[in-house]
Amino acid sequence: MDLRFTEAQEILKKMARDFLTTECPKTLVRELEKSEKGYSPELWKKMAELGWMGLVIPEEYEGMGYTFQDLTVLLEEAGRNILPGPLISTVISTFPILEAGTEEQKKELLPKIARGELIITTALLEAEGTFNAYGIAAKATPKGDDFIINGTKLFVEMAHVANYTICVTRTKDGTSPEKGITLFLVDSKAPGISCEVMPTIAADKLCEVRFENVTVPKKNMLGKIDEGWPIVEMMLRKGAIAKCAESIGAIQTCVEMTVAYSKERVQYDRPIGAFQALQHIMADMWTSMETGRYLVYEVAWMESEGQPCAKEASLAKAYVNEAYKNVGQWAIRLHGAIATSHDHDIPLYYRRSKAADTTYGGTDFHRELVAQKIGLI
Amino acid sequence: MDFELTEEQKAHRKEFFEVCKELEKKRPPSFVGFEAVFEVDECWEFHLYCAKEFAKKGWLGLAWPPEYGGSGTMMDKVLFAEARGYHGIPGVDIFGVQMLAPTLLQAASDAIKKEFLPPIVQGKVMWCELWSEPNAGSDLATLATTAIKKGDEYVINGQKTWNTGAHRADWGFGVFKTDPAARKHHNITFILLDMKTPGITVRPIPYIDGGGPFCEVYFDDVHVPAKNIVGQENEGWAVVNLLAGFERSGMTEIMAMFRDLEELVKYCNETKRNGQPLARDPLIRNRVAQLACELQAARAIAYRIADLQNRNEMALMDASAAKIFYSELGKRFAFVATDIAGPYGQVKTSRWAPMHGAWEKAFQECFITIISMGTNEIQRNIIAWYGLGLPRMK
Ligand SMILES: Cc1cc2nc3c(=O)[nH]c(=O)nc-3n(C[C@H](O)[C@H](O)[C@H](O)COP(=O)(O)OP(=O)(O)OC[C@H]3O[C@@H](n4cnc5c(N)ncnc54)[C@H](O)[C@@H]3O)c2cc1C
Ligand SMILES: Cc1cc2nc3c(=O)[nH]c(=O)nc-3n(C[C@H](O)[C@H](O)[C@H](O)COP(=O)(O)OP(=O)(O)OC[C@H]3O[C@@H](n4cnc5c(N)ncnc54)[C@H](O)[C@@H]3O)c2cc1C
Repeated sequence: MDLRFTEAQEILKKMARDFLTTECPKTLVRELEKSEKGYSPELWKKMAELGWMGLVIPEEYEGMGYTFQDLTVLLEEAGRNILPGPLISTVISTFPILEAGTEEQKKELLPKIARGELIITTALLEAEGTFNAYGIAAKATPKGDDFIINGTKLFVEMAHVANYTICVTRTKDGTSPEKGITLFLVDSKAPGISCEVMPTIAADKLCEVRFENVTVPKKNMLGKIDEGWPIVEMMLRKGAIAKCAESIGAIQTCVEMTVAYSKERVQYDRPIGAFQALQHIMADMWTSMETGRYLVYEVAWMESEGQPCAKEASLAKAYVNEAYKNVGQWAIRLHGAIATSHDHDIPLYYRRSKAADTTYGGTDFHRELVAQKIGLI
Repeated sequence: MDFELTEEQKAHRKEFFEVCKELEKKRPPSFVGFEAVFEVDECWEFHLYCAKEFAKKGWLGLAWPPEYGGSGTMMDKVLFAEARGYHGIPGVDIFGVQMLAPTLLQAASDAIKKEFLPPIVQGKVMWCELWSEPNAGSDLATLATTAIKKGDEYVINGQKTWNTGAHRADWGFGVFKTDPAARKHHNITFILLDMKTPGITVRPIPYIDGGGPFCEVYFDDVHVPAKNIVGQENEGWAVVNLLAGFERSGMTEIMAMFRDLEELVKYCNETKRNGQPLARDPLIRNRVAQLACELQAARAIAYRIADLQNRNEMALMDASAAKIFYSELGKRFAFVATDIAGPYGQVKTSRWAPMHGAWEKAFQECFITIISMGTNEIQRNIIAWYGLGLPRMK
């Protein structure tokens, strides 16, 4: 056991921190919230040069061949700084291609993703807003060499700029909701697709995507017909861990900014950080961060090693969801009115704590999975 | 970053668990929670028995240098704590093995080490901690009990209190004022004393639940050889700080809670209310799952501490954070479990009590870890002042 970052991870971490500090200042974050695209193509290009989109893609497909754990090291830095855009959605949507794609699909798509030429996303949630298979109603019906997709997807990350959308569809009404699910890679420009950005708390461009008689060639099927749900579970598990890593980075910034501010802000003739009422809250904020951090590092390691870790991923996501929201609200309160201003950086994080919480499963969703996995009947 | 244990560590872990599992079969039924050791005679006997068994295997000297009978690494010590916690096995003297021994190894003279370490590693001598006084709790340095040097002896007068297991211990390590004229923090000496020395009176104090894990200890002209000190005279405060650093990451308590969680799940699956198992109640599922999440987080930070200590790195902030977290989780666990048990949550050990009354007991005993070893407020001060560098008001 050695819970230190490897030398390569330290380098990745430092590089990411330095890069994001200069290339992605909070002024850009705010601009992107208001912009239509929600990401910066110039920044995206530079990130591609650093190899970030291809971090976990094997070298034979022009990727960096890093591990999943390395990816979480990078995402922690992205969370620390706040990096708007389709990095997580693209990287997480890459895994179904990596793990279930045909050689042809891999050769076609992975190098382009690694080069930053392709943005992809996954269309999973529908009207019910559940991460369970039960919520999948969008239908794909075979027709000759094609499938025809009909349905409406919601909360699809950055779909408005994605080149491809992995659409999770129902191809058969099976005995259980998990049976009869099939994944398709859909070209975003295919006729019949319409996309509208939903206004959300973090202005992070979640979209409603409508599929009206969208024709998808059979060769764009990802994995086997009717057997797509395990791929979705894999993606949700990796996504949950990735989101946790990002959140830990964000929590760290909230703690650091609050501690620093409390040392400077003077009221009653002393820095407010001298008041024990606030000291104890900051100690608790730090404790939340540190307990969450090693919980996340452990599950990221398990995932990276290919160990089964669905339970641990849910334990971590449920825990970190709450930690981030809680640290975020304390960060605002300890700053006082200044952090209730839209122009302050802390609320950028606080708003994202809600967005992070719902992405890849909220607290109650994951607690229910935990309940099942610890053996409650 | 790598969480994998080495093959050797895995083998050790397996052996620790196997031995503790066997010992669990011999454990008296009156052992409900680790405090039972101090409260119930047959549990104390079991504690001594386990200590002998562990001594035979060399497990009381894990991470000690070989010249004092030690073997294994810091990591082994953590894995051993896991096994004992999970199976609920005493036998490791929290005062002698966990606190005093590492302190002696680092701060005592060779003579003291040679005299006092062997009986600890052999499981022969049990210790107690004589620190707190009625007027010196968190602010320990205000202590008033004096040890005045006369020739080659100290003569001790005064009173200590809240001393866990002092009525059972063979020896005690205490802090006493050796120079009443000197400044606070510069007047304290760390002294080892035989609890059978004439002039010592030990009176058990009943804890919240009526049991007696701790005592008050009176000193009336108690003569102790002057050689029995750790560190220098009047410099005992440094030893206090050193020892406090060796207190636990909570791995035993955390693993005990993992076991409790399994029992709680079993109880929810097997107990019916409103015509269905408790486990089918979504609210109960949610609360139990939340405990599971927090437990996993507690274990994660305990590993973090183990990893730091294994490399001889400071774990000051993490140790305080872990202590706050696992002790308050113990309280939350007790609250949730007794809530779920409904009216049975209040029943003491008897045929009506779920889990032999362990949860009712936990509801009262959760303060032991919250208050002792530096209260959680003091731990928060440590994180704020020494960790986060926040200004300390005098
Ligand atoms: C939505 C909103 C509307 C407002 N409307 C008005 C208005 O109409 N008119 C107006 O005049 N003002 C208004 N205010 C300002 C408000 O009164 C102040 O924000 C408030 O008094 C706190 O002052 P501060 O924001 O400067 O925080 P600070 O005083 O700097 O406090 C920062 C942090 O330190 C803590 N703290 C400070 N002193 C102590 C102490 N002694 N002990 C423990 N903790 C301490 C605070 O609780 C807080 O957590 C408004 C504020 C908000 C958020
Ligand atoms: C079950 C149990 C077993 C124990 N075993 C032993 C033992 O074996 N040997 C031994 O010597 N002692 C033992 N103790 C005593 C223990 O070390 C003290 O209880 C502890 O140090 C707190 O001291 P106190 O009880 O006098 O509380 P006080 O120090 O009077 O504290 C009262 C309250 O004030 C808070 N407080 C005090 N100072 C501060 C501060 N600076 N900032 C914020 N809050 C503060 C405390 O957190 C607490 O909430 C035991 C205690 C218990 C409960």
